[in-house]
Amino acid sequence: MPESQAAPVPAPDRGDVWVVVPVFNEATVVAAVASEILQSFPNVVCVDDGSGDDSAAQITTTGAHLVQHPINLGQGAALQTGLSYAKARPGARFFITFDSDGQHRVEDALAMLDVARSGAADVVLGSRFLTQQTDVPRVKRIVLRTVVALSPTSRRLKLSDAHNGLRVLTKPVVDDLKITMHDMAHASEIIGYLAGSDWRVKEVPVTVNYTDYSRSKGQSLVNGVNILFDLSMKQRRKG
Amino acid sequence: MVVIQMVLLAGVTLGLLLFVRRWHGVRMQAGKRIGLVAFGVLNVYAVLRPDDVTWVANRLGVGRGADLVLYLLVIAFILGMLNFYLRFKTMDRRLTELARTVAIREAETVNRERGLLGPHDVAVSVPTVARTTQ
Repeated sequence: MPESQAAPVPAPDRGDVWVVVPVFNEATVVAAVASEILQSFPNVVCVDDGSGDDSAAQITTTGAHLVQHPINLGQGAALQTGLSYAKARPGARFFITFDSDGQHRVEDALAMLDVARSGAADVVLGSRFLTQQTDVPRVKRIVLRTVVALSPTSRRLKLSDAHNGLRVLTKPVVDDLKITMHDMAHASEIIGYLAGSDWRVKEVPVTVNYTDYSRSKGQSLVNGVNILFDLSMKQRRKG
Repeated sequence: MVVIQMVLLAGVTLGLLLFVRRWHGVRMQAGKRIGLVAFGVLNVYAVLRPDDVTWVANRLGVGRGADLVLYLLVIAFILGMLNFYLRFKTMDRRLTELARTVAIREAETVNRERGLLGPHDVAVSVPTVARTTQ
């Protein structure tokens, strides 16, 4: 969006927004990603999920809050930690989840925040398939489409993209949500939670930057099998 | 072979359903233990009087008694593994809650020192997830 560059909105305007960035071994890019987010959002919390590299040190070079898992717990756990930290801060009303590998665009997050702020939805999810983004790698497209097709919950919500890391959640949702799937299955878990709730969910088209870096870290086909297994073994709370 | 196949498949399916649905608490716990003891007793009996087991096996459509014991062992093994898996998941969840609480508490101190949190922002927050008891 060109106008957002021409007239930058003063930071205090978004003091009620927290951006949660789960980080695992992203030392090469995390500082740049965090700094970029900080230009638009004053509150950023990076959750270092027990990285073996100096991700944590890189985060402290920026103005982002740092929460450090003492051991590696998985991306879902990192997200929940970040949300728990952020929601304990006074005045927090909106929560944005944002991947640390630089694949998301801040302007997409801003557009999604506008939708949430307008009161049209309690949850806003990014989707790379609403506008037929063309450069999604083909294998990835097939995997993601399959996950959507196999998941009855995302079909009920009529979602086009079940595994996008860019989301905007409002405070009541975050208060209620408990991510228990610690690895990649958390994305499906969140969708399942939303489908079983009364929250109003909206999808907004976003663009995902498939850099070589993010490509090298993305989910593989094999991971899809793991996700399905974990979800099918999920313990029902009330049997 | 039809009877035994049905019995075995029904056993596995029922066991899986019960386990995953987590018929949690005292009843399931007791059920598991009774099952374990019964299986042990059955095996002792099978060693002492193999002919009796063979008789039962023939009735069920299995050739030898030892085969019947083997089939039951397979069921017991699957259920045992599943039990282990679910218990492991519970442990994992507890560990995560512990690590999360520690991490957030530590982070509040660190980020206050970095000047990111004001002194008024004291909430020693216990994440809500940590309160789920198992």
